[in-house]
Amino acid sequence: METKNEINVIIAGVGGQGNVLASQILGQLFVEQGYKVTIGETYGVSQRGGSVMSHLRLSGNEQVSPIIPKGLGDLIVALEPMEGLRILGQFGNPDVQVIVNTRTLMPMSVMAGETQYPDINSVLQLIQTNSKSMWTVDATQIALDMGNSILSNIIMLGAVAATNILPIDQDKLFNVFARTFPPKYVELNRKAFENGMESLSSRT
Amino acid sequence: MKNSAKDNLKQQVIDQQKCTQCGACVNICPYTEYYEDRIIPLYHCDLQEGSCYDICPGTPTDFKALQSLMFDKQDITSEIGSVKEFCITRSSDQDIRINAQHGGTVSTLISLALSEGVIDAAVLAGEQDVLLPKQTAVTDSSRILEFAKSKFVVSPTVAEFNALASKNEVQKIGVVATPCQALALAKMRLSNDPRIQANIKKLKLVIGLFCGWTFSWEALKKVIDEHVGLKNVLGMDIPPSKYHNLKVFTPTGETDISLDDLMPCINPACNSCIDMTAEFSDISVGSARLKEGWETAKSWNHTLVRTIAGEKLIQTAKSHGLLEFKDVPEGNLEKLKRAALNKKENLE
Amino acid sequence: MNMIVSNKTGETALFMGNEAIARGALEAGVSICAAYPGNPSSDIIKALAEVGPEMGIHVEWSVNEKVALEVAASAAMTGLRGLAAMKQNGLNVASDFLLNLNLSGIRGGLVLVVCDDPGGISSTNEQDSRLFAKMGELPLFEPSTFQEAKDMVVEAFELSEKLELPCLVRSVTRLSHARGNVELGSLSTNEVKPFFDRSKPFINIPSPTNAHKGLRQKFSKCREIFENSPYNYYSGPENPELMLVTSGAGLFYSQDAVRCLDVSKRTGILKVGTTSPLPEQFLSKHLIKTQTIIFVEDGGPFLEGNIRELCAGRPEFSNTKFLGKLTEDLPPVGELTPDLIIDLLCKKLDIEFIPRSAEYSEAVKAAVQNNTPERGSGFCAGCPHRATYWAIKKALIRDGRDGFVLGDIGCYGMGAGPAGYQQMNTMQAMGSGVGIASGMGLLEQFGLDQPVIAVCGDSTFYHGAIPALLNANQHGSNFLLLILDNDATAMTGFQPHPGLGKDAMGRQVPSVKIADICRAIGLEPEIQDPYDLDTTIKTIIRLLREKQGAKVLILKRECALVAVKSKAPAFSISVDAEKCLGDDCGCNRFCTRTFRCPGLIWDAEKKQAQIDQAVCTGCGVCTQICQHQAIISEAS
Repeated sequence: METKNEINVIIAGVGGQGNVLASQILGQLFVEQGYKVTIGETYGVSQRGGSVMSHLRLSGNEQVSPIIPKGLGDLIVALEPMEGLRILGQFGNPDVQVIVNTRTLMPMSVMAGETQYPDINSVLQLIQTNSKSMWTVDATQIALDMGNSILSNIIMLGAVAATNILPIDQDKLFNVFARTFPPKYVELNRKAFENGMESLSSRT
Repeated sequence: MKNSAKDNLKQQVIDQQKCTQCGACVNICPYTEYYEDRIIPLYHCDLQEGSCYDICPGTPTDFKALQSLMFDKQDITSEIGSVKEFCITRSSDQDIRINAQHGGTVSTLISLALSEGVIDAAVLAGEQDVLLPKQTAVTDSSRILEFAKSKFVVSPTVAEFNALASKNEVQKIGVVATPCQALALAKMRLSNDPRIQANIKKLKLVIGLFCGWTFSWEALKKVIDEHVGLKNVLGMDIPPSKYHNLKVFTPTGETDISLDDLMPCINPACNSCIDMTAEFSDISVGSARLKEGWETAKSWNHTLVRTIAGEKLIQTAKSHGLLEFKDVPEGNLEKLKRAALNKKENLE
Repeated sequence: MNMIVSNKTGETALFMGNEAIARGALEAGVSICAAYPGNPSSDIIKALAEVGPEMGIHVEWSVNEKVALEVAASAAMTGLRGLAAMKQNGLNVASDFLLNLNLSGIRGGLVLVVCDDPGGISSTNEQDSRLFAKMGELPLFEPSTFQEAKDMVVEAFELSEKLELPCLVRSVTRLSHARGNVELGSLSTNEVKPFFDRSKPFINIPSPTNAHKGLRQKFSKCREIFENSPYNYYSGPENPELMLVTSGAGLFYSQDAVRCLDVSKRTGILKVGTTSPLPEQFLSKHLIKTQTIIFVEDGGPFLEGNIRELCAGRPEFSNTKFLGKLTEDLPPVGELTPDLIIDLLCKKLDIEFIPRSAEYSEAVKAAVQNNTPERGSGFCAGCPHRATYWAIKKALIRDGRDGFVLGDIGCYGMGAGPAGYQQMNTMQAMGSGVGIASGMGLLEQFGLDQPVIAVCGDSTFYHGAIPALLNANQHGSNFLLLILDNDATAMTGFQPHPGLGKDAMGRQVPSVKIADICRAIGLEPEIQDPYDLDTTIKTIIRLLREKQGAKVLILKRECALVAVKSKAPAFSISVDAEKCLGDDCGCNRFCTRTFRCPGLIWDAEKKQAQIDQAVCTGCGVCTQICQHQAIISEAS
């Protein structure tokens, strides 16, 4: 009964992880690849340390809502594991695919010692159980090895590309990089993307 | 959600006006502080078991356990606790007598304890504002007289003890304490909390003060200001009950303020106190009562020796000639017991 | 290359709704753009300010929204084009001017963009600003797509100039803050020489009624124009079982619902882009196609009420059912979502939508419930507001008279929550804390014996607190005003304000110091660094007790997010592992649990406090709160 001709991607993380930038880069790319793109973002006070998510929707002919209807996620890019699980609650379905940055970020209540962060393995297990497939990437570590944790969102984009779930044209993507980043950071981001791709493909 | 220790302390003691501002719950954690004669819970703590509740003199106490821990069984009386010796004393040093409240016994004993090395610091009450006591730790016996006068508002003595005991520099501490403060210190001996245990090991001497009641600072300030002007207060004294007044010493002489005017200023917590003689001390000291009348009696002290440590200190004072002793008139001990019993019974 | 100023007509850009609006203004040849920051509207002026010098236009962050609208109107009074942008609360501030300007009219083009925030995602209220268009009898455009967000602004300028009336464009968060494809038009090359024609003054007296007659005529003319607007259209079967009548982002949700449920043969969508004045003939023509109409619109029942008014008493609609917020078929409060429309359509069309099995739903619900603690928002590491609220809390408790704090919105508004130890007790309009305090400080004569504190930020002080403080001093109100001066309009994205010495386009401009304004009012402020907790606490207590009248304490410390960019941390902070007794301390994790700084964290393995060096800004405030002085700072 359901007819769906769009691809629904959710990039989820914590304020400050670069989730808006990641969705913008992908969005820009797909505009150039001829798609109708709609991106919805959670903004507001939640940006300071709160959960944030971007809904990135690709459609062939008409623009769609910036909010994905319940249960209709196709791909979840979790910049933080617990945020990935949180998204499944509203947008997950047995066919959803999930790519997880395994590095955890503690909520204030956990940092304060009031609550506990759930066991990381059980979080990943729950994501795995409730999705069609799950990939894990220690994107933050790769980024830190490259010198700056800020690169982890681009590394995650590389991992996304490696899964072939999205029709990413790499040359066009690097053109977007060239227009998005200051010249001296273009190469670094390109490298981050490639490292992200490699981290995923090398394991399969 | 179950109440935390702090919640219970607030509900059962502070909100019931049973808090004497002794300071026991201050400086063992950052959640509570003493400020201008008030114990104030600043932040919420969700610990269900907290020492703050256990050591508060306003919470239920196992008196029997405390007595058997601190005193010789045969010395214990039901009215005034342990009594090894009851004497009338005063300082041999006239300077001390002049500066001190009555006979100067407390100042003499603290000074001696410091110079003999019984303690290396004493927690005494000075003043931080007019009539408002401030606790100070003193290590130099020559400073004792700065703190010699009676205070009429409870000082957060135990808070200062807590702070001092948790420092490494000090190993042996003496405290001059009101009955509630002495009880708080005594309750620490029963604590399971390793920090409290470590602290209380350093407590080597408690000199207790007889106490009928104390005043609330804000209220007292107001009444005194109305009568003599706050800035004119040089000192105060409460003579025996038949006079029924508070004496205020001013640059121009003495003013008597009727206790009727001061009754509303009494710290409400004192109404639930059953201990007049500071039973959980090594030595307790109060003003003497003599046939010769108040003019003579006011330069002497009633002194109750309660423990072996107290006995030793009194003996040293005697052998060094630092204290003068006077024969205890017949019936004085009975009168004291009656008065103390009266306080216990009034409450019941 | 910034696409906002791209010359490539016909090219497709990915624009945020707000960027599309900004691009529209450039295509329309705007000369002056003014706004006061406030989400979801802030990005419009941000985008324009970045290209202002290059495009030869004036772009400013005004002191408040009323002034912004006045500045933008100046262009339109001289034949140029002006744009003002604001959030819903801002329009309330500007409304006094707007509801005079509607009568006096303008010459050039004036477009007022108002971005509503249904659900109050980044606001203290939710309101439907479209009512101002009805009240002011002004043309109103409601873009539904990113393309329309751009195109309608161009159209609104044309119409404004034609009718000599300000036009409103109403966006919502889900359009302003979302992104989508926008095909570019050409940038304007029009050059207009401004001229103020003294023979045609903008004055409504002696007869505002006559002016109102003129407005009515323009409004009628506008209705005729809207009858043929391309922004109003119907799509669907000729006689649908039901029709979704929608405006704004409601179109997205309606289309998503129809597509998800595959009911395009049973359901029509009547999309209205010009919602004031309503194109009555256009609407009548389409509404007649069905007997069940569902209104899908964000905000209040604006279309719903107006269309029902239009159909009332007309026999052709006597059997029509109107469903929406008035009938509570859709929630009358909060934000619309596609799910709400899907659910309602399922109910009305008697169908089911099962994107996933019930078992799956239950499984993920349980997984989420037990494993995803909320990420509450809080002050950043090093935020001076944290220190300020810590001091306020301690000062009020010590003072002991149950004092309270009157405030408003800004980062410091988080003082109402756990981040600020629940210290703020009121939060309404910008500067309202000071205004309420001006009254509250007079209530002692009626027996109010609690001390009064008002707080406001630096940007808020300029925006809305100055008249209140002036009033307070004139009437001898007794309270303490704390101005939390962090040299930033931080909440909305660091826009300059009159105290900072630079403007929206980065030019050096004169700055006006808050302390100087206070002095001019007749109040000598004290200035204190909130990082010094002890002195701040003592100063607050002293000022609360000291004397009658209004007292001002400026708590001055640069926003940590700004400071971290310009200078190295003053201190290197660490936890002395010897001194921190951890869970054995008995402090019950006081520093992490109570102080709540993201840079000071509980190390669950070592069972000790720890500084997260990646987050810590070296402010050193936490070194003042440990009773064992276990948090130490070294000059770095």
